[in-house]
Amino acid sequence: MSTITISSLRKFYGKIPAVDGFSLEIPSASVFGLLGPNGAGKTTTFKCMLGLARPSSGEIRYDGKPLVPETFERIAYIPERSVLYDWMTVEEHVEMTRRAFRSFDSRRAFELLATFGIDRRRRARALSKGMRTAVMVALAFARNAEILVLDEPTGGLDPVNQRHVLSLMINEAAKGNSIIFSSHQIGQVERAAEHIAVMDHGRLVLQGLVDDLKADRKIVEGIFPDVSFTLDGITNDARVARADRTERIVRLLVTAGADEIAARLSSAGAMGVRVLDLNLEDIFLYAVSPATATTDVVAKETST
Amino acid sequence: MPAVLTVDPRSGVPIYLQIIEQIKRSVALGVLQAGEQLPTVKQLAIDLTVNPNTVARAYRELEREQVIETSPGRGSFVRSNGVTESPKVAAEIGRDALDVALREAKSVGLARDEVRELFDAALLRWFPTFEK
Repeated sequence: MSTITISSLRKFYGKIPAVDGFSLEIPSASVFGLLGPNGAGKTTTFKCMLGLARPSSGEIRYDGKPLVPETFERIAYIPERSVLYDWMTVEEHVEMTRRAFRSFDSRRAFELLATFGIDRRRRARALSKGMRTAVMVALAFARNAEILVLDEPTGGLDPVNQRHVLSLMINEAAKGNSIIFSSHQIGQVERAAEHIAVMDHGRLVLQGLVDDLKADRKIVEGIFPDVSFTLDGITNDARVARADRTERIVRLLVTAGADEIAARLSSAGAMGVRVLDLNLEDIFLYAVSPATATTDVVAKETST
Repeated sequence: MPAVLTVDPRSGVPIYLQIIEQIKRSVALGVLQAGEQLPTVKQLAIDLTVNPNTVARAYRELEREQVIETSPGRGSFVRSNGVTESPKVAAEIGRDALDVALREAKSVGLARDEVRELFDAALLRWFPTFEK
């Protein structure tokens, strides 16, 4: 059981901030999804969490304590890029990991490798990208770690094996362990994660429980009889995060109180008032690229 | 229990609400009977490949609404009044669906009388035994 607290984390590479003032609390015993476009700072955040990169400022604490060597025994990490040694066989990697970590379970590792259909005698050099990912997954999940930090743990895997990795994550969470993972496959995050945080340009732009974000964030759309309508200050409501107006149609992104705002649109004279649900992909796009999001949500609605 | 339980994580409806809705529906339809045991939170999470805390949240809400009860160490069960109240649950499901349909009808600008006409026609289609 471990709560991870990231406070005002900054990491510069030269003059460029990869992480630019990032604070986050990751609760224990849950699956936490870290989302963000390429270059948002996810991998750098992970590296700082694991002591693989030194923060320029800010800090990371595990249950209130800074990262000490003993903490590594409790954390398993799958890096974004393969860290397997080309000239070593899969079996040798298992043996190397066993020597490094007391709680490592070799039998479990071989079981997992078999599930992924990996031949333990093969050298890493001969493995495809997906197979390398599978080997790293097997090594990490055989660690009996309390915290699993997984940077794109399904990269290169086929859908069956992707689902397998998700099941492993769910299993760990059910045992009370904590999983923090990043993925560009939003569908996976949507399924497996309880909490999410969205990073963009090194900063936190959104966080919350996936189910709460979905329950609260809606698009309220109203169609007015003619172009000369007024919104009676509805857009000044703090719950209206964004308003897009085109001729007779107005679309509001609301962060709460969708029904109430829909009713206000009606009283302002809108006729076709609809409340549209948003899935995590829509919510993500609104957080990092609002202009793309509106067209997307509406196109999806009209096509169904 | 329910192989019938499925979730669509890609939907805009929160997963815990999807689970609640489906369990209520199963109770209303008698698929789940009084005293019947539900899968454990862990088992259902694994079966659906969703977060255990999400399943736990659904179960907590169902307990609060007295549809199920959980006894520590034994598991979660459908409450007997969960079943006696099943007509009420069925009515709730119907009312919610009608609400959605009526809101939609209103939003496209149909008048009350037009809606009533459509409603009567639909009623005849789905409940033909009540023909005049």
